[in-house]
Amino acid sequence: MALIEVEHLKKHFTVAAGVNHAVDDITFKIEKGHTMGVVGESGCGKSTLGRTIIRLHDATSGKVMLDGEDITFARGKKLRELREKMSIVFQDPYSSLNPRMTVESTIMEPLQESHRFSKQEIQERAEELMDLAGIEKRLRLAYPHEMDGGRRQRVGIARAIALNPQFIMCDEPVSALDVSIQAQVLNLLMDLQEQYELTYMFVTHDLSVVRHISDDICVMYLGQLVETCPSQTLFEQPLHPYTKALLSAIPSTDILHPMQRVKLKGEITSAINPKPGCRFAARCPYATEACSQPQTLTEVTPGHFVSCCRVNEVN
Amino acid sequence: MSEFLTVKDLVVEYSSGGQHVQAVNGVSFTLGKGETLGLVGETGAGKTTIAKAILQILPDPPAKVLGGEILLEGKDVLKMPEKELLTIRGSKISMIFQDPMTALNPIMSVGSQITEVILLHNKISEKEAMERACGMLEMVGIPRTRYVEYPHQFSGGMKQRVVIAMALACEPELLLADEPTTALDVTIQAQVLEMMNDLREKLQTTMILITHDLGVVAETCNKVAIVYAGHIMESGTKEDIFLSPMHPYTHGLFGSIPKLDDKSKRLSPIPGLPPDPTNLPEGCPFAPRCPKATAACRQGVTPNVEVTPGHFVRCGELVQKEVD
Repeated sequence: MALIEVEHLKKHFTVAAGVNHAVDDITFKIEKGHTMGVVGESGCGKSTLGRTIIRLHDATSGKVMLDGEDITFARGKKLRELREKMSIVFQDPYSSLNPRMTVESTIMEPLQESHRFSKQEIQERAEELMDLAGIEKRLRLAYPHEMDGGRRQRVGIARAIALNPQFIMCDEPVSALDVSIQAQVLNLLMDLQEQYELTYMFVTHDLSVVRHISDDICVMYLGQLVETCPSQTLFEQPLHPYTKALLSAIPSTDILHPMQRVKLKGEITSAINPKPGCRFAARCPYATEACSQPQTLTEVTPGHFVSCCRVNEVN
Repeated sequence: MSEFLTVKDLVVEYSSGGQHVQAVNGVSFTLGKGETLGLVGETGAGKTTIAKAILQILPDPPAKVLGGEILLEGKDVLKMPEKELLTIRGSKISMIFQDPMTALNPIMSVGSQITEVILLHNKISEKEAMERACGMLEMVGIPRTRYVEYPHQFSGGMKQRVVIAMALACEPELLLADEPTTALDVTIQAQVLEMMNDLREKLQTTMILITHDLGVVAETCNKVAIVYAGHIMESGTKEDIFLSPMHPYTHGLFGSIPKLDDKSKRLSPIPGLPPDPTNLPEGCPFAPRCPKATAACRQGVTPNVEVTPGHFVRCGELVQKEVD
């Protein structure tokens, strides 16, 4: 059963130059206990999408459902309850922790805020959480500046799971970390998911990380969803021209089998006052007249959705 | 192939407030003309310090080169007077800095920043220099009409290309590229790397590429050195490192990257953390995290073994095995 259902979600920002269509008509589902990876280049709206789903932004239009319940415009007490069910792990473990709060007080804050636990319970739960996240007991009273990035991110994760949320939005949680530390944190996230049946949305630009952790993947380009399908299908049989280019651009460590690269011209533009139609068309090697018409997300094979009118010609 | 650049037993230390950070602890390598060396390592391993030492732009204080030689075509850069260094920087050796957002002067048009470098090192008129700057811009794929624009008018990928154009403007013989694509998106990274490869082939530039991304190294370098806590732990040709890595740290690095074709669910990260550079452990700096470390690894000088010609591994355990 789907825990998160997103239907025609839009989030537009009004900026000096016009209207930024950061998230434009996006529809997908995340099954309970699954991880949905969201990939795309900087500025494609992947973080905005995640933040709109967990209600850090108010949607412009569309619908977000949590466990069958419409939460798009929940307010007041209802929204407070939602905050306990959905949480976030931020990208930068340096700026997302309060520099004046100790590890323990950072982890205890959500527990105190929920007003459901006694002092004793909070203390016990904080110890349990530090243990779960692999933070040494001696760091209980340490401040963020005394810790390295990997440990700080563990504090961020402990804080995120404090109230037993159902859904965690992980916004580039490992991209600020060195590879050896990155692997430790990824393993931690996967262990916690298994233990507590957590549902993740994993936003990242790192495709090898996303393949490793995700069950399903959404590929975004300038606010639009261009392709979504199970992770394995995406890597074995990408259908959208952008996905193909993106996958072939990853530098490979396999020196014996160099990959054939799909070359892209130009750079990602912006989603401010976009023209109708496929936003990737300007860089797409297969673009034709038809691409300037609005595209629809079509189920090409069961579970594999692509938003490209030339998908049959391209493949 | 004669050696173009030889770095021998380079030692660099940063000191402030009575604390000494041993950033580079006896690094040696050689590079022939036209070769590309990838310096791979984690944050704080000393990669950038090595590059800055070659260009002699380490801030002193706090940095101090305590020993070693850096021979550029036989001449020791460390012994050169500042005046001679000025003529070398930007013309014979140049550097691409990591962050294109801060490497450019925000109140100067990008074209005049390139012209400035050309004028400094060549006795030509300003008009000729401007013409050459336009040519450089075109070479990196930026139309010459954008000469008069300022850095804030360019995207990240384009700024990085401007920085590359500036670094290549005087056709340097040695290019030091410090994480040139880390701040860029993958599709832009692919474009920039391809452009750098083309230019390098065309101009026969020798290059040192600093990165933490093994994939980028695989695509651009022919030699690789794995740096950890200011030591080169393993070095050799690209094939040596990628096809038959020997050092436990190199294995650890490869185990930490999620592979695109790997179906296994758990990664095998290196346990623990890189050592505190103000207080390096005795013996092999990797020993505290090493699954194969023995008591012998924790003391004395770790031997640097040449396992096959040109493939060096700094590991005591390995020597032990060979003796057995």
